[in-house]
Amino acid sequence: MRRLEGIAIALVLSVLVGLPVATLGYQYVVRPAQSEHRVIDIIAYAPEAGGFQPTVIRLTAGETVTLRFHAADVVHGVAIGPGLGIDLGHIDPGEVREITYTFDQPGLFTYYCTTWCSKDHWRMRGVIEVVDPASPDSLPLPERDPIIDALAAEGIDIDTYPDGGPTHGGAHPARVRVSTGLTPHVARGETALTGLTVPDILASLEWRRAHTPLEALELLAQENADADRARLADAVAGLWLSHTPGQPAAGTVASYNANCAACHGQTGAGDGPAAGQTAEEPAAFRPDSMLPMRSDVLYAKIQRGGMGTDMPNFGTLFTPEETWALVDYLWWLTFTDDP
Amino acid sequence: MRGWRWKREARLAGWLGVLALFILLLPVPAHGTLRTLHLDLDARQFEFTPPRFEVAQGDEVVIRLSASDVVHGFYLDDYGIERRVVPGVVEEIRFTADRAGKFRFRCSVSCGPMHPFMIGELVVTPNLPFFKAAGFVVLALGLLLAHRWRHLSAALSPQAEPVQGDR
Amino acid sequence: MTVARYDLLRRALWLGRVLRSRLLQPALMLVTLVVFTLAIVTGLFGTPAGSRNFGIVFVWIVWWALLIVVLVPLFGRVWCMMCPIPAPGEWLQRRAIVRRNPGRPRTLRKRWPRRLKNMWLQNIGFLGVALFSGVILTRPSVSAVVLLAFPLIALGLSLLYENRVFCRYVCPVGGFIGLYAMMAPLELRTRDCSTCRLHRTKDCVAGNAQGYGCPWMVYPGNLDRNTYCGMCMECFKTCPKDNITLNLRPFGADLFVSKSHRLDEAYKAFIMLGCALLYSAVFLGPWGWLKSWASLESLPNWLLYAAGLLAIVLALIPGLFRLCAALSDRLAGHRAGSRFVTYAYTLVPLGLAAWIAFSLGFVFVNGSYALSVISDPFGWGWNLFGTAHMPWTPFAPQLLSFLQVGVLTGGLLFAASMTVRFAGDGMVDARRALVAGLPVIAFQLVMTLAFLWLYLG
Ligand code: SF4
Ligand code: SF4
Ligand SMILES: [Cu+2]
Repeated sequence: MRRLEGIAIALVLSVLVGLPVATLGYQYVVRPAQSEHRVIDIIAYAPEAGGFQPTVIRLTAGETVTLRFHAADVVHGVAIGPGLGIDLGHIDPGEVREITYTFDQPGLFTYYCTTWCSKDHWRMRGVIEVVDPASPDSLPLPERDPIIDALAAEGIDIDTYPDGGPTHGGAHPARVRVSTGLTPHVARGETALTGLTVPDILASLEWRRAHTPLEALELLAQENADADRARLADAVAGLWLSHTPGQPAAGTVASYNANCAACHGQTGAGDGPAAGQTAEEPAAFRPDSMLPMRSDVLYAKIQRGGMGTDMPNFGTLFTPEETWALVDYLWWLTFTDDP
Repeated sequence: MRGWRWKREARLAGWLGVLALFILLLPVPAHGTLRTLHLDLDARQFEFTPPRFEVAQGDEVVIRLSASDVVHGFYLDDYGIERRVVPGVVEEIRFTADRAGKFRFRCSVSCGPMHPFMIGELVVTPNLPFFKAAGFVVLALGLLLAHRWRHLSAALSPQAEPVQGDR
Repeated sequence: MTVARYDLLRRALWLGRVLRSRLLQPALMLVTLVVFTLAIVTGLFGTPAGSRNFGIVFVWIVWWALLIVVLVPLFGRVWCMMCPIPAPGEWLQRRAIVRRNPGRPRTLRKRWPRRLKNMWLQNIGFLGVALFSGVILTRPSVSAVVLLAFPLIALGLSLLYENRVFCRYVCPVGGFIGLYAMMAPLELRTRDCSTCRLHRTKDCVAGNAQGYGCPWMVYPGNLDRNTYCGMCMECFKTCPKDNITLNLRPFGADLFVSKSHRLDEAYKAFIMLGCALLYSAVFLGPWGWLKSWASLESLPNWLLYAAGLLAIVLALIPGLFRLCAALSDRLAGHRAGSRFVTYAYTLVPLGLAAWIAFSLGFVFVNGSYALSVISDPFGWGWNLFGTAHMPWTPFAPQLLSFLQVGVLTGGLLFAASMTVRFAGDGMVDARRALVAGLPVIAFQLVMTLAFLWLYLG
């Protein structure tokens, strides 16, 4: 009996004390020790509950780390950009996704939530600072974007374009809208173009990105005075997407749906579920608002965000190529809307 | 005496079984109206809007499923339909409501604390399973009472031991 | 009425040996203690996502289903034999886990107030938990705190009072287990009560070298209901006359022991039936606003919810029932006082059936969480048994409604035939008694149909 009692006491204590110590110890001491490189746990909460914890991770270039993302409350998703091509997909609450990666160049990277998880979803970001081992104290600077610099040199304020006019501090000017009554469609573009005289300059992608479809329409109209305006507009739609014929790439559509659709709407009508919650009504990608819009301005808005509008900046997430692909998709949405 | 009572109860149980079988196998007219019904269904923590909707048996149902705060899911009992829905992206779910009854649809993607209880109801009318069940319950009770009535003579009740009123 | 009983120990001698072993209870408790401790640790430190947290899944799905669908209806209070909640307190009080410590128990030996020697505290405790169930059931950390509080309260009480005062008078779970244990076809009884009467030392109460006196403060000698015997099996060990045994008997036999009918137990029956109804509406219904009220998203709404719940459970249901019972009394022409309390016991089978139907409704659906959680109890990305990524798959939804209808019908028929018997008692004209029972039976039918409507309608 004495011995049994001793065993019983030992067993009970090993449950009451041993079980917590063993489980917590395994997770927080043994598992990290077993791993050959640094393991960083990042817990994802919805932004109003704290977002990513931690929000800043500092690494030295060449270091291999395992980043382990946990979702705590609702479904989140994780991708790391720009330009790394890391997309861990969605993480359901209570689940874990991890990636082991070697950051070999110094620079700034962003891990960001890719699944709409709250109205502040887009705030949900964290920074990975990869420093040069030779000078660990100097932080890498974000790179400058030539497109945005060029717009600035041209004197265009992307928040007010195309009015010009003062912005910051003042009320945000109304978004430009024209009522042309036109609903150009890209599918009719090719037929519309046959037989038209098209100025050479319109074939230049560079020119098209720095001008509006309306400007192109005027140029076309000058050359083809007797052509119907609706047909010319269709021709412009065709031209505007002539460098990416066919259906938009699945990756771009997914990226739009994950990052933009909650405000701008799945079809670009500006009617996503979060549309009512932003500081300013989200833009609709429809002819009336898009015909007087330039691609490079769209690019800059995506990269840099919209001042005071709740439009987040995606420059820390997307490469220029990814951003241009999104811009093209916005045009596609604009020019495929058949009322 | 005891054996006799057991036999009595067994007979009652037998009748109940017959009743259950009868109601289960009751032939029901087949429906095949073949309308196509479109429905917008929104998922939000922790409810569906509309929370309950009715269709007629045989209808083709097209649900445009949206989520308005976080990622949700849609799982329709018995129909084996499951879909994940992300805010901003509408999912189209299409099925033929060929079975009658009430079917719960549940959020199938963990969406917060009350997630396991995020439930909506699809009623495929006529809701025969419910009417059958209710009918069965009522008839079963009637059967029991009739059975008791038959076997309770007007004489002294044979089974009860004295029950005092409550103190 | 004497009912048929089958003495399980007559044949199965090994069972007697097992029950007399001092190892039985501690061994079972050790197993549940592992699960319980893990549930608390995972609740406190694991993922806040309930469906991926061992604590939530194992307590509110696995344990709950086991308790209400299997253990209580079939084995009565057997859970209380293995429950880990009172274990630490009891062991400290006895200064022993397995052995029989002959010394005095370490406790202040206060006297439990007479006015609390009933189920009212348990009724209040259960309602308290019920009001917060929207939070407790869904937030692992809250759940863990509640789970931790239980053994701590039990421990505190064991310092003040001897024996299982917590279990007998306080534990909110213990109350309804006791009520519904009356339905079980298993009972612990003496073989021959005259042996007890003639036995002078009453070892089962006083204790002896083989075991402790009944920790549940029950005198096995006149045990006639399962309600308050915690099946700790001490009396098996202490009884020198081999007079204790386990019987098989018809379901619900205890309910007819009318001399024990009491208002506190009757209210337990109302509370349980009412809560089953409300839970079915709140948790399994389609009404989002009810869920948000119940989960304490805003205090005023929750207060409304709490007031509504209490009003329905404590006033509306007992009130309506009282009305029906009064009608029945009128029809029967009883003069010996109202049978309201007695009739309330007919709600025991009905309530148990309702709880089983309700529990099946979410256990079938969410049972698959247990598989993933057992491999990854904390939601930390472990995969102990390779099942961590099992998807959520509802089990046989098409079977569910058949089971629910079957169970509810069974409960109703049992309740109705109890009513006929209660009404007929002391009456000469048995057919008139049946008529007299009809108002109460109508109440039972309406309740059953309400459940049916919630589940199928
Ligand atoms: S009464 Fe409560 S604490 Fe005591 S054994 Fe039963 S369930 Fe456990
Ligand atoms: S009657 Fe026997 S089994 Fe029941 S609680 Fe008392 S000692 Fe334990
Ligand atoms: Cu959800």
